[in-house]
Amino acid sequence: MKHRAVKGRLLRLAGFFLPLAVLLVFLLFPFYWTFVTSVKPAAELYQARVTYWPAGFTWDSYRNLFGEFRFLKPMLSSLTVALSTTIVTLVVAVLAAYAFSRFEFKGKRIFMVLFLTNNMFPTVLLLIPLFTIMRRMGLLYTPSSLILAYTTFTIPFSIWLLSGYLNDLPSSLEEAAMVDGANRRQAFVKVILPVLVPGLVATGVYIFMQAWNEYTFAVMFTNERNRTIPVALKNLIGQLGVQWDLLTAGGIITIIPVCVMFFFAQKRLVEGLTAGAVKG
Amino acid sequence: MATVELKGISKVYDGGVKAVNDANIIIQDREFVVLVGPSGCGKTTTLRMIAGLEDITEGELTIDGKLVNDVPPKDRDIAMVFQNYALYPHMTVYDNMAFGLKIRKFPKAEIDNRVREAAKILDIGMLLERKPKALSGGQRQRVAVGRAIVRQPKVFLFDEPLSNLDAKLRVQMRAEISALHNRLQATMIYVTHDQVEAMTMGDKIVVMKDGFIQQIGDPLGLYNFPINRFVAGFIGSPPMNFMDVQIAEEGGTLFAVEKNFRVAVTGRNIPLVKPYIGKNIIFGIRPEDLTFSDREAPGKSMKITVEVVEPLGAEIHLYMNTGAHQLVARVPTDHVYKVGDVASFIPNMDKAIFFDAETEKALLP
Repeated sequence: MKHRAVKGRLLRLAGFFLPLAVLLVFLLFPFYWTFVTSVKPAAELYQARVTYWPAGFTWDSYRNLFGEFRFLKPMLSSLTVALSTTIVTLVVAVLAAYAFSRFEFKGKRIFMVLFLTNNMFPTVLLLIPLFTIMRRMGLLYTPSSLILAYTTFTIPFSIWLLSGYLNDLPSSLEEAAMVDGANRRQAFVKVILPVLVPGLVATGVYIFMQAWNEYTFAVMFTNERNRTIPVALKNLIGQLGVQWDLLTAGGIITIIPVCVMFFFAQKRLVEGLTAGAVKG
Repeated sequence: MATVELKGISKVYDGGVKAVNDANIIIQDREFVVLVGPSGCGKTTTLRMIAGLEDITEGELTIDGKLVNDVPPKDRDIAMVFQNYALYPHMTVYDNMAFGLKIRKFPKAEIDNRVREAAKILDIGMLLERKPKALSGGQRQRVAVGRAIVRQPKVFLFDEPLSNLDAKLRVQMRAEISALHNRLQATMIYVTHDQVEAMTMGDKIVVMKDGFIQQIGDPLGLYNFPINRFVAGFIGSPPMNFMDVQIAEEGGTLFAVEKNFRVAVTGRNIPLVKPYIGKNIIFGIRPEDLTFSDREAPGKSMKITVEVVEPLGAEIHLYMNTGAHQLVARVPTDHVYKVGDVASFIPNMDKAIFFDAETEKALLP
């Protein structure tokens, strides 16, 4: 009997935990490698022999990143663009999604399909027309151009996401509020919005990451004054060589805000959407 | 407290589907009116039109004599209990109940008084700080009712409020809502598909089918004098038995003749079925009006085969077959019935109801 139990445990180990461990290593190794590279002294970094565990340890690259390279500036640009995109998108999308989810009107289905096809376009296709538009509007090389460009993609997709969440909320929720004495605006603000928070957080995190990581538009629509993180980092890859230490340090710094955001958002993300609203 | 009047109310949806047809109902002050019917009969649509959640296509709706067709729900001074309770999940029980008063800018002390009073009536005082997700189905139901009570509205609307509860709780809440009606002396309109709920709770019952009101009456009136075959079959459990028979006259007596039996028509029914001699007619008899007989009685009894025996304790439900029709009888427990038994049953012909085979309308005096 004991023998069989041991065998069962071994099987479980081989069949379940081993593949999981392999996958985990596969996923996490790039992060580890980035971090390790960023803290290696320059001499070790550019030597011929590869060290998986750094022999020396230094924060020099980070010091240079924020000192000489002035990484704070692109970080602020990225933050401005990403936050603005998130706020603009959420405001527009939640109102639109509410209309799509609760009202019947002509062209409703066509609009929804259009929103979806919008996401199927390769972004590069829209680069040139948007570039011309931005130039004509005098927005080129300002953060507004990026915010506007990003929202053209994030709004339609967010409307899809949010109307999905809204469709799951029974309309009797706001009907109850309206019978209770609220008008539609009050019912929306006091009942629907608070219940929608997990959906808003999920959508917001998605939008923020899109804007935070985007490169193609950023490289075209910004200049030295307001370039964003991905563009700034790309500048470290020169024709004559790559500044690995700065590049990896920048990479680590870039993922920190996103990680922190997920840390706080994840509780909201997994929270039951309508728990207790209706029979469940 | 208020009178609600529906005059020629119709509802046509965008696709052209007519959900409610020319509904005329007068709901008196302090009356408990139940709208009942199978699903899709338009009862919920009617209720939602009274609430203002659904536009009225045609007709006039008045509350206390005031036309309210175009008055938004918040200004109709009504409260509604929804089938899925629709509690606000992000608010505590207290805030759920206080919501309507807060939005109407009641003073804090008044809100507190009303919420605690309602909580006491419904026995949910200890739940006030909880969120809806921490409540059982029955408790959520009470909170939903409480949210209506604190408002002290002119009219209470209930949309199948008990259908999500288990059977035992349903019976209990049924009695509680009836008691609440007596206590609050309020006008209540209650929608259900369950005829038992309708019969036990309503002062007045409105039976609906396919968007048309079939009959309006008090529970016993509907039971004893159903206007057509639908109402007769819908009200009462187990339902009334219907048999296709022919009326024949022999020696001055009228008989209802089925393939396998013939019974004499008696009492009030004689003049009513006379015009149907030689014609088909529907013979309706309630399960409790069939009595077991230990011997055949020509012209009075019918021979049946027992197919299913359901002993309920106080009584037995017998599902039987005449050879041409399935019947159900409700009989006392003083006789032992076995599946496959062939027995004679005597219908109480004074209580039988006949229906026109074409129109299915009841032949009533």
